[in-house]
Amino acid sequence: MASNMNMSVQQLMRRVSEALFYVTDLNLYLDTHPDDTKALRMFAEASANAKACVEAFESRYYPLYATSADCSDSWEWLVGTWPSQKMQ
Amino acid sequence: MFVFTKMTQIPVKINNKNPRLASYILSQYGGPDGELGASLRYLSQRFAQTEKSGIALLTDIGTEELGHLEMIGSIVTQLTKGEGAKSFDRYGVGDYYIDHANAVYPASASGVPFSAAYMQSKADPIADIMEDMAAEQKARATYDNILRMCDDPDVTNVIRYLREREVVHFQRFGELLDILQSKIK
Ligand SMILES: [Fe+2]
Repeated sequence: MASNMNMSVQQLMRRVSEALFYVTDLNLYLDTHPDDTKALRMFAEASANAKACVEAFESRYYPLYATSADCSDSWEWLVGTWPSQKMQ
Repeated sequence: MFVFTKMTQIPVKINNKNPRLASYILSQYGGPDGELGASLRYLSQRFAQTEKSGIALLTDIGTEELGHLEMIGSIVTQLTKGEGAKSFDRYGVGDYYIDHANAVYPASASGVPFSAAYMQSKADPIADIMEDMAAEQKARATYDNILRMCDDPDVTNVIRYLREREVVHFQRFGELLDILQSKIK
C-alpha cells in the first residue's frame, strides 16, 4: 500500500472498487456455500484489504461513508464525486 | 438497513453524448427487466423466505441491484448532460425531452413508466427463486440487446460488466434452488 501516496483519485478509486467488488462477489458465493473453508479465508483477506483501501482513499481524497466525514469546520460529506457525476 | 457508499461499483466515465443511446439504456432503469424491478423483487421476496441462505442471498443481490440502478442512472445522465431540446430531437428522442428533459425517469425504452406488475412476490420460495432465475436471464438478454445497439466503448465496458453480474446472480439463485429443494426432500 506504500504506493498509494502517488496514486491519482481515479487510480485509487479503481483500487477501492476492485477491492469492494471482490468482497461482494465472495459474499454472494458464501451465502450459498457457508462452509467453504477456502472461501471463508479468502473473504477474511478480501475484507481486510477493502477496509485498508477505503481508509487510504478517504484519508487522501474524500469521505465515501458519511461516518467518515470530517466535522471540524464544514460538512465534508458534500466533497467529492457523487455517483450521479463524472469523476474528473 | 442500508448504508450509502459515495461511489459506483465500477467507475462510470462516459465522454461522448448520445440521447438516443441513453433512452435505450434507460430500459435497464425502469423497464420490464431493469434494475429497479430486480431490486424491488428480491428485497420484497426476502420477507417470506425462511431459510437463512435465502434471506441472505435475496438481501445481498437485491442490494447489489440497487447499486446497478445507480450505475444505469449515471450512464443516462452522462450521455445527456448539457444536451438541449434540439439535440434530443435530432437523436429521435424529442418525446422524452418534452416529458422529462434531462431527468432520469423510471420508464422502459418504449416509454412505458415503471410498474410493480413486472414482478411477483409469492411467499413460495420455489416459485420466487424460479422467477428470479428467469429475471436474471431476461436482464442478461436485455443487456445483450443494448450491446448490439452500442458502439461507445465507455458505455460498452460498463454494460458488459453489468451483464456479467446477471450471469453470476443466475448461478447463485440456481445454487439456492438446490438448497431449498434438498430441504423439501
Ligand atoms: Fe442481477
